[in-house]
Amino acid sequence: MRTLLLTVSVLALLVFAQRVPAESASPLELRVLSSRTLSGTAGDFVEVVGEIANSSAQATDSITTYLSLVDTGTKMPVDLEDWSAERGLFIGSIDAGQTLPLTWKIHFVQPGAYALAIVAAVEGRDQPIISALTFFKVAAKRNLNPGHVLPVALGEPLLLVFAFLLLKYRRDRKHP
Amino acid sequence: MLRLLWSKELKAGLYTWKSLAWLLVTSLIFSVTSYLMLTNRELSLLDQTEMLWLLSKVILSAALLVVVIDSSSLITSEFEQETIECLFLAPLTLKDFVLGKLAVSFTLWALVYLVAAPYVIVTSAGSQLTCAMLGYTALYGSLTVLGFTLLVFAVSFFYRSLRNTLTTSLTVLLASSISALFSSGLKRSAFARALGSINPLDNVFASLDNVLVDYQVSLGRNLSFLLPLVGFCAVMFGFLLLALRAFSRKGITKD
Amino acid sequence: MAEVISASHISKSYGDCKAVDDLSLSVQSGEFFGFLGPNGAGKTTTIRMLTGIMRPDAGTIHIDGHEVRNRQQLSRAIGVLSESRGFYGWMTGEEYLRFFAGLYGIADAERTVSSLLEEVGLGEHKRKTIGAYSRGMEQRLGLARALVNRPQILFLDEPTLGLDPQGQEDVQQLLRRLNQGGATVFYSSHLLHEVSRLCSMVAIINQGRLVATGTLDALERQTGSKDLQSVFFALTNP
Repeated sequence: MRTLLLTVSVLALLVFAQRVPAESASPLELRVLSSRTLSGTAGDFVEVVGEIANSSAQATDSITTYLSLVDTGTKMPVDLEDWSAERGLFIGSIDAGQTLPLTWKIHFVQPGAYALAIVAAVEGRDQPIISALTFFKVAAKRNLNPGHVLPVALGEPLLLVFAFLLLKYRRDRKHP
Repeated sequence: MLRLLWSKELKAGLYTWKSLAWLLVTSLIFSVTSYLMLTNRELSLLDQTEMLWLLSKVILSAALLVVVIDSSSLITSEFEQETIECLFLAPLTLKDFVLGKLAVSFTLWALVYLVAAPYVIVTSAGSQLTCAMLGYTALYGSLTVLGFTLLVFAVSFFYRSLRNTLTTSLTVLLASSISALFSSGLKRSAFARALGSINPLDNVFASLDNVLVDYQVSLGRNLSFLLPLVGFCAVMFGFLLLALRAFSRKGITKD
Repeated sequence: MAEVISASHISKSYGDCKAVDDLSLSVQSGEFFGFLGPNGAGKTTTIRMLTGIMRPDAGTIHIDGHEVRNRQQLSRAIGVLSESRGFYGWMTGEEYLRFFAGLYGIADAERTVSSLLEEVGLGEHKRKTIGAYSRGMEQRLGLARALVNRPQILFLDEPTLGLDPQGQEDVQQLLRRLNQGGATVFYSSHLLHEVSRLCSMVAIINQGRLVATGTLDALERQTGSKDLQSVFFALTNP
């Protein structure tokens, strides 16, 4: 099911870059609300906020919403295993006219450019519902001295080499 | 006499650059490992306690490898260079000879530990596990070094050959590490559990997990891991005594 | 004269090969005792048993009145230049002797080491590493090590091997001086002219058995020979 959803998401994202025309719109609408605050740096934890709205006259049951992420550089889907512990959010029922919030906490694991969408799978429907794409960038974290380890990481080997040379010099001087 | 032998071996290690080369290699391993782990930690990909546990495993594994390889030549080189006869023509007891060589192995371990200590301090900063990590690394390192060095010495006296001693010792060391290759399913099997209960390295790593990841820092809570390690040392000591008895019977020069 | 080296019916086998077979010999205090034999006769095995390096399969050995069981006690009484010529190549000659002086617990190690190195002709080379020594220099160093504890009983296995003629002469003079000072020298060598010049008593071993022992004159009379070489060939190649 997960693989199917991923594949369908990628195809959908690549083919349907625009919103679905009104005539074939589903009763449910998905929106990503945090599109302007998503960009960050590798290592950051961010919250993806979205909502699902039921614009039809009937309640809809058994909806599961997922995040779908694609690396726009490599055009490959991103396995969200490292990015988010929260995969699917299950919504038991959404009444007619009701709007419900959706939130996912994600961890920016790798730098790059990405496109994100919320996908909803409804029981009894073949086609999933997909929100508009949200594009964001994750900048690389550049820290040459993580945890202030560099003085030790470089200093110790250099100190040992210095000790080596000093001993050699003293030995050679004493015993030419 | 012990001090004389220890001093001679220490100088041999320094003046032939053997010991310094080992320390440099271990230092480079620790530098790369700690740098990569801290980079991952900054990306929040690695929890600090997990990082400390991994680092302690790297330190102990590197130290054991270095000590086993170096110790393999401590006694066998005396046979192969034909210097053993002159040593035992002097008033040197077998006990002093073995203890002198053991002191050298421990000195090498102590030096590796001193090299590793700054890396431990830097990576454990802010975790309140610095003392525990330093203490348990010293304790488990000393016991595993003792056990494996006794094994290496016993094998040295049996084989009197560096190649055979090194092959055998490294095989035993690798066999002790084999559980790292087990799948999660196999790790739950009765065989793996039985092996884990007697394998010194399994007990050491499990205890470090207990201390660093689960914060069970008291010695009492780690006794169940410490006892098999002490048992291992006792068995290796018995093995060495057997080897020394055989050596005394055969004589200094092999028939 | 007191007996300082006594071997009584000693034997040693390597598997099926009997290297030393029921050998008995006796060396008196102050003797310069030559021990001869062809290659593989059992000379080195005999010396190893006498110096405690190897245990005999049978028989008893007494050195200086004590049975050869306590190796530490024995090692203080004797000096040995053995067949094994291993050295620590990274050490200097001085460091090497100082190490062994330390093992023997010599009080004035610095002075002892310096004088020994001069005696064996290595005074100029004491600060060089042994790895840079020639074969002859190593031999001299080995001899110096055998003398570091100023022993009264010396076991020397081919002491002039690898030495040039001057070196051989220097070593012979040194050993003569030591012997005249009261040291007992057990001298194993292939160089018959050396043995005939230095030794007062000679023993000849062949195929693990002692075939003759006595003064040079007695052996010459016994075999009807005119020199040690003829004695040697008569007894080892009948």
